[in-house]
Amino acid sequence: MSVAIVTGAGRGIGHAITLRLMADGYTVVGCGRSARGADFPAGAHWVQASVADPAGAVKINTAATTLGKVALLVNNAGVQVEKTVTDSTDADWDLVIGANCRGVFNMCRAVLPGMEKTGGVIVNIGSISASAADPSMALYNASKAFVHGLTRSIAVDHGPTVRCNAIAPGWILTDMADDAFALADDPQAAKADALARHPVGRMGAPDDIANMVSWLASDQAAYVSGASFTVDGGMTAASPLNPGLF
Amino acid sequence: MKLQGKTALVTGGRGGIGRAICARFLAEGARVYAADLSEGGSLDAPGGAAEFIRLDVSNEDEVRAAMTRVSEEAGKLDILVNAAGIEIEKTIEDTTLEEWNRSFAVNVTGTFLTSKYALPLMRKAAQNGITASLINFGSYDGFIADPGLAAYCATKGAVHALTRAMACDHGPEGIRVNAICPGYIDTPMLQSFFTGDGSGGGGKDIGELQQAVRDVHPMRAYGTPDDIANLVNWLASDEARYASGQLWVLDGGLSAQVQQMKL
Repeated sequence: MSVAIVTGAGRGIGHAITLRLMADGYTVVGCGRSARGADFPAGAHWVQASVADPAGAVKINTAATTLGKVALLVNNAGVQVEKTVTDSTDADWDLVIGANCRGVFNMCRAVLPGMEKTGGVIVNIGSISASAADPSMALYNASKAFVHGLTRSIAVDHGPTVRCNAIAPGWILTDMADDAFALADDPQAAKADALARHPVGRMGAPDDIANMVSWLASDQAAYVSGASFTVDGGMTAASPLNPGLF
Repeated sequence: MKLQGKTALVTGGRGGIGRAICARFLAEGARVYAADLSEGGSLDAPGGAAEFIRLDVSNEDEVRAAMTRVSEEAGKLDILVNAAGIEIEKTIEDTTLEEWNRSFAVNVTGTFLTSKYALPLMRKAAQNGITASLINFGSYDGFIADPGLAAYCATKGAVHALTRAMACDHGPEGIRVNAICPGYIDTPMLQSFFTGDGSGGGGKDIGELQQAVRDVHPMRAYGTPDDIANLVNWLASDEARYASGQLWVLDGGLSAQVQQMKL
């Protein structure tokens, strides 16, 4: 039985990825800092651990290997702090870099020895913010650039048995996105404006990202490694001018 | 005086950005040819101090004749700036084949032709470890799209690819090839975008439009032709002797950001 580890599996994108990978036939081990949620799928396993802690990553990998061959790791866990560099505290740094950078590193380091022997796939959730900045998201933007950089390094260093790719989601409607809109002067107007900036006419859903994870994990993507795929409804293809201005 | 002893030819040399480049090159001590469709260029104003060559960059005979004149008068060409360009403000459905072909004829074929016939003269300039500098005009629209500018975006993407290809082919000959990719620069072309019949302006208050565009820029301003000339001057100079094959985005930070939601 192939085992897939999904970090940050309790909510939003991670929850959707968990459901999709179960449907694809994986035994899914989800993990998060919290205890198993009531809505976490009954057929999936849960490990309460923080990926930011090296011991947490080992704990997650150990639990997964007892179930079978770990064929897939999805590094989805991430946090964001909405601050500029000058406003960011040391605690903000530890939180964001700990989860988004060190967490990805910890998990990859934990699973790679096994994956190199039996083959496997790593999918990291990066962000469009890795290559263009969202305002007042300094540490988050930088942490996501790290994810795409590490993705390439793992692909280069640990092929041919391991493929490693990253996804750069745009605006996906999750609790995290709602938090960002809540900061707006007029949250409804902000959502309407955001919508107008998406050529496909809607903002993203967690399933849009889960679809790409599923494809990257599959044999259809056998020749894809070290790549970053943007799934953003076309938003970053357009100039950042206000929609309808002209 | 970074360009003392150098000869430069600037296409679109009487347009908004071209004039600023010619003036800067002259100030830096270069011999400068301004090539354009007319003495007044797109500004329709009296020409500058640069020597004028009437040139349609899409006409091979005229390009050949222009380079023959430079060869006879100067004997070499250190700097070629392909600044001639046009912009059709339409989606592809609204763009006629004639408009599409004209866009490519000026923006892409023009860059091809002037480069093709300038290269022998640039090889003469690239001697004894001194490099020659060929500078194309791409655009930030070659990376990300403005609405209703389809053909323009496509031509600038082509210029970007051509820039890298030329840099690979002619680097060993001491010829550096770069492209400058401007964002919103205050030129007649930009005014046309604001007031034009296509996607531009369309009855809205120009002042409000311009302020709205400025506000989207991290630098809260759009650029001036002199801002572009500053970078062109550096790329043309010997200080840039190791700079080649790159696409130099100069846009006040516009493309560094994700879409600026109204948060």
